[in-house]
Amino acid sequence: MLDTFLALLHGVPVSLAVTGLAFALGAVLGVPLVLMRRAGHWLPRLLARIYIEIARGIPPVVWLFIIFFGLGSGIVTLTPFQAASLGMGLISAAYLAEIYRGGFLTLPAGQDAAAVALGMTRLDRLRFVLAPQVLRVSIPPMATFLVSLLKDTTVASTIGVRDVMMLVTQQAQAAGGGFAPFISAAVLYILLSIPVALLARKMDARLRARTSR
Amino acid sequence: MTDPIVSLKGINIRYGTHHAVRDVSLDIAKGEVVAMVGPSGAGKSTLLRAINMLETPASGTLHVGDFTFALDRPLGQKDLLALRRSTGMVFQQFNLFPHMTVQRNISLPQMRVLGRSREEADRVTARLLERVHLADKAQAYPARLSGGQQQRIAIARALALDPQVMLFDEPTSALDPELGLEVLSVMRELAADGMTMIVVTHEIAFAAEVADRVIVMADGQIIEEGPPEQVIRNPSLPRTQKFFRAILERH
Repeated sequence: MLDTFLALLHGVPVSLAVTGLAFALGAVLGVPLVLMRRAGHWLPRLLARIYIEIARGIPPVVWLFIIFFGLGSGIVTLTPFQAASLGMGLISAAYLAEIYRGGFLTLPAGQDAAAVALGMTRLDRLRFVLAPQVLRVSIPPMATFLVSLLKDTTVASTIGVRDVMMLVTQQAQAAGGGFAPFISAAVLYILLSIPVALLARKMDARLRARTSR
Repeated sequence: MTDPIVSLKGINIRYGTHHAVRDVSLDIAKGEVVAMVGPSGAGKSTLLRAINMLETPASGTLHVGDFTFALDRPLGQKDLLALRRSTGMVFQQFNLFPHMTVQRNISLPQMRVLGRSREEADRVTARLLERVHLADKAQAYPARLSGGQQQRIAIARALALDPQVMLFDEPTSALDPELGLEVLSVMRELAADGMTMIVVTHEIAFAAEVADRVIVMADGQIIEEGPPEQVIRNPSLPRTQKFFRAILERH
């Protein structure tokens, strides 16, 4: 059992890398997406809406197949690792944009009005007044999303990424049955998600203590 | 009146079918303190917010300081920013930025809007904090301050941009009476220093004492205006008499 567990650890860096890259990509792409979603003109709003619905409405495994076998066989060639990071990142952008949007909704209307009245430009209002406050309220749901993303990236093994789940499957086949590899994986994923949850709680508490209202 | 610093001509503001401000014209001289009073829903705040274009009038002409805008077509972004730089606004709910210290609340807009250096902005901030009697609160976050202190910081933040006119939208309505007094006292000092001020308020005693002119609004129109002693003591319209009697009876 311990051997199995230790063997799975070799997949951890890959699992974390896919999760981290996808989260970073999603956190960045989520920004233009939420701005489009909140735009004054209907066209960017509609486009963002369509993107978000499609990204969230199709199972991640289907996305990875489309990106790896579809996109990958066409113009650009992607390694399984690249395809998984890109695919999960594009999906994450949709979820994180919705988290940001929820954050915008919690802002008192007077915050933007005050910044407007001071003569700040649209970009300055976003950068100095709105975004920091949106980010603050978005941290707890972002952490929850990160934990579920870590688990969802197990689908990367279906396109051949050598992550924890790939090693689990190999171990299980080699052992010819038995559920030790799966129990090991379960323990491993719990251990990986606890630090994220703790870190998020600590960041949230620190920001809250400073600016509580 | 020679060269008004603020001049509204034929201002109309509509929300859908609701006609909130009806064909209002108003001239305000440099250094004048004008109190706008009237029942809620009269259009006072809406008219005030049109002066810095937080509300967009459907028609009319707006003149503030060096700028004159015809409002029947949308203003460009540059014009809007220039207009807002020449006006300062104080809100009922203070609207300080909760994630910034008091000092940064006042210094950041100076740096971003006027392009002042951090040192210069902080110097101006320190001077204004003295002026609103809160010099010791520079490093505090707004959540740690009382409502009256927050509103005085909000006044300092608006003053830091050297506005030509200060707009006050019910600045004491969200405050306990004694906290309201400290805000009114800062506003009184500001008026004495010659600042042009337009104040939407229910504080009749303040209007009577500080304002050069009282404007009574009802149903989106100015129904009566004049010096406070005349408008408040001897209003000519029955509607105005009823309004002031109701307010006096509450005190």
